[in-house]
Parts: sequence; C-alpha cells; structure tokens
Amino acid sequence: MAWQGSLSRGTGTATATSSGSFELPIDLPSRIADQPDKTSPEELLAAAHAGCYSTSLAGEIARADGTVERLDVTCTITLDEVEGQGHRIVSSELEVRARADGIDAAGLEQVARIADEGCTFSALIRASASVSVRAVLESS
Amino acid sequence: MAAERRASVTWNGDLMSGAGTIDEVGSGAFGPLDVSWPARAEEASGGKTSPEELIAAAHASCFAMALSHGLAQAGNPPERLNTSAAVTFVPGTGITKIELAVRGIVPGLDEDAFRAAAEDARQNCPVSQALGAVPEITLDAALAS
Repeated sequence: MAWQGSLSRGTGTATATSSGSFELPIDLPSRIADQPDKTSPEELLAAAHAGCYSTSLAGEIARADGTVERLDVTCTITLDEVEGQGHRIVSSELEVRARADGIDAAGLEQVARIADEGCTFSALIRASASVSVRAVLESS
Repeated sequence: MAAERRASVTWNGDLMSGAGTIDEVGSGAFGPLDVSWPARAEEASGGKTSPEELIAAAHASCFAMALSHGLAQAGNPPERLNTSAAVTFVPGTGITKIELAVRGIVPGLDEDAFRAAAEDARQNCPVSQALGAVPEITLDAALAS
C-alpha cells in the first residue's frame, strides 16, 4: 500500500504483492461516501468475508453429503460512527443463494450456520461487530 | 453516517477442487478476481487472490489512512507512506498473525514521534479494531532513509 498526501485529499494504491492479483486505487471519500471506481478497506473486507464464507459453505455442504452446483454470496459491511470511538465496523451481513443437490432448505439452513461458525473471518469479526447469514436454496 | 460496502462471490463445485470468483464490488473498482482454496492455503497462490490477501490489503490501506490522519492532525502531514500487511493463515486454526510495516517520508518529524504515531494508528484504525481477536498484530515502523 502506498499513500501520498493527507487523509482527506491524498490517495493510495493497494497492491496484492503475494499473488499479483490486483492493484487498486483507494482514498478517504471512497470509505465514507459513494465513490465509483475506488475501493475502500471495508469493500476489501466484504470481498474477503464473502470469499471466506463461500469456501466454508462449499466444504460444509459436501460434508453433509450434498453437491454444490453454484453458490452466490454477497457480503455487506457497514462502517459507522460509534460515540466515543470514532469510525467502527459495526456489522457484516451475508446473503447466500445456493444451488445444490442432496440437501433441502432445512439442511441448508443448518449447514449455513455451521459454515458461519467455521469461517475464520466470521469468527474474528464477531468479536467486535454483528455477523448475520441468510441462506436461500434455489432449484437447479 | 453509516457507510455500506458490498462484494459478491460466486463459488462453483466443492471446496478442494472447486473455485470461486469475486464477481463484483459496489464501487466497481475491481473484479472479477479468481479465488480458490489452494490460493489460500498453499505456499504459491498461482496468481489467485484469497480472503487473507484481501484482508491484508484492507488492513494496510486502513492503517495508512489512520496514520496519515494522525500525522496531519499533529501538524506533520506525510509526504508519502508505504505500508504493508502480511497475514498468516493456518488451515484449521485461522488467522494467527498480522505483521504491519510502514516506511514514511514525513518532513520535520523524528523517528520516535513517527513510531508513536504509527503505534497509535495500529491500535485504533477501524480494521485493527475489527480484527482485534487476531492473536498477534505486530508493527515495524521507520522513517524512510
């Protein structure tokens, strides 16, 4: 990450040095206002949580003898001002649409919860923010 | 004012042999990016990103913004900060360590004051707070020579 200048007027670039997978512009307005084409730490965390949870759920559905065809996972992370603490990440919400064979709606609900418990990122962020999961089974 | 940030992932197939894609993010700044289990857990990531690499990018950028803000508020705005975050992931255990590092060009500031400002940012940036349950978050801070 390279940052130039002050917080409110400066800009940064986040580079994935381990994989070379991305190089992204970042700035402060992208965190607190809607700013097209610039990412923010919270957006990167949302991508991390959606990715972590997808792998966890794929593993749990297989463990319950289901077969994953496709999982669509959307994560929304909320940054808010908390009195006396400044800006804090207050919640992460996961929404899942699953196409899988060999598992019913009740079974999916159960493994969605187990996957949340097994997802590294859910466990970490739950210590300081709320985490919720809503999973829906789609017919394939 | 609350700000919401959103990202969507599609996963196909099982964990070990399947693969996913970060299809889109709210800002449109990136995506699609490929993700997979081997990219997370094995030494070589094969050009694919992972949740841990995204957490590293989030933490390095959050830390840079917090430090930039702290320095400027104390009257010493930085010319340039180069930050990095290395996230250690142990399959089966989780994230065990995050190593933050910064090299800064800050006119008029000595090494001790820079280190103190960096330590404050390490403790208080929103991502550090959100990841407070990580057993170890270390900091290596110095002025760039």
